[in-house]
Amino acid sequence: MKRWRSKGILVLASVVLVVLLTFVFWKTGFCAGEAGAEKSGLAWWMWPIILFLFTFVIGIIAPLSGVGGGVLFVPLSTAFFPFSVDFIRGTGLIMALTSALSSAPQFIRKGLANIKVMAPVVCVSMVTSILGGIVGLWITNAFPSGKYYITIALGVVLLIIFVVMLTSKRVEFPEVKEQDGLSKALGLTGAWYEPTMGKVVEYKITRLPIGIFFFALVGFIAGMFGLGAGWANVPVLNLIMGAPIKVAVATSMTIITINDAAAAWIYLAKGAVLPLIVVPSVLGISIGARIGAKLAVKAKPAFVKILVMGIMLLAAALNIIKGLKGLHII
Amino acid sequence: MEKKNDQVYVDPINLIFAKAMEIVTWIGLVFMIIFGVLYLAGLPSFVNMKVAIANWHLPVGHFWEEVKSVHIHGYHWFLGNIHLMDCLSMVGICILALAPFASLVAALSKVGGQHKAFVFLFLILIVEFVFAILKPIIMPGVGGH
Repeated sequence: MKRWRSKGILVLASVVLVVLLTFVFWKTGFCAGEAGAEKSGLAWWMWPIILFLFTFVIGIIAPLSGVGGGVLFVPLSTAFFPFSVDFIRGTGLIMALTSALSSAPQFIRKGLANIKVMAPVVCVSMVTSILGGIVGLWITNAFPSGKYYITIALGVVLLIIFVVMLTSKRVEFPEVKEQDGLSKALGLTGAWYEPTMGKVVEYKITRLPIGIFFFALVGFIAGMFGLGAGWANVPVLNLIMGAPIKVAVATSMTIITINDAAAAWIYLAKGAVLPLIVVPSVLGISIGARIGAKLAVKAKPAFVKILVMGIMLLAAALNIIKGLKGLHII
Repeated sequence: MEKKNDQVYVDPINLIFAKAMEIVTWIGLVFMIIFGVLYLAGLPSFVNMKVAIANWHLPVGHFWEEVKSVHIHGYHWFLGNIHLMDCLSMVGICILALAPFASLVAALSKVGGQHKAFVFLFLILIVEFVFAILKPIIMPGVGGH
């Protein structure tokens, strides 16, 4: 009964999301990213309310699938809302940062997130996320058509994420027989109490140098598009470095706090963070995520995964079409 | 090592990192939301909401030229106007962005002699973070505009 109720709320949230986006798209005259706000005829005070509702629904859906809010907010806003991609990326980054800051301390206290694992990979990814933020803003400002290239690139990144989600096999408890020299020297081990098994589970990290390389790449993409990057951190920690899935998810949230906080200063200094967009969005996702986190316990993961992947595929297609239209290619 | 949940021992550097992050995050959130709501309620602001909505489709550089006739770089645009609600909300966002920095500094104080490699790693992270904050001021020309 409870599972059906959870499923019902999820379906309702998805319907509200589709109706809301269709409404915005229709009111802006199908020209999101251009003078859509002026064409909409909507009263100014409607925008904060629409943003709140939009991010509230994203907040319900996102935690169920293990992706941060930013990975849904950025592509959907780029495709449907009339804001510049600069403001969308700035807001997406602050949303992802707030979500990560709210959950990371809990994970650390339970032994799930380990800052000893985080420190070496973030030393590298922090630099690349700053570079990504610089490149992202530079493209949109230096080239008249830069925003269309960014939009197309975002669509392509989303397609890649879609394929990663489709093909990745998460391993709950990877078996690490031997640690690499660096992981061993740094003592990258840990333990947490797993309530479903009723016992303490110990783990060891391995292949740290390969993990650092992938984190550098992920940091750049996250900084450039204003995404939370949880979608990529988790597979690297889990499939390459041998962290159990729960440890990978929790440590990923801690990594996001550092990377996103570093990238945020570039957006703050360029004026790409507007309280008018950020405040309703952070409020919406914070409240929605609390409901989503409760539903996550009851909902079937397969159903949620399909739901989120469907949204991402749609957003990817729309972003690519919008970018190509902007460049007058189609 | 410190006892946790009667089952698992969590390293004190992890615990102090979490505590510092939690405190600074709450302060930042309260600041951002209270002054953000006051801004949306119509109290004095740096950016007029109607003008912002009419121009938010423009790339960030053009947006500020249209809305305030200014060229933005660095933090003076909101730190110099902290009597206005949207700028106070921006200060809240800055506090949020400082939370991991505060956590790293707090953790560094607990690392101690047994984790010399982590003293080095945390120092690198702190320096990187300070650079990320200062870069827009000391290297304003880099990265566009």
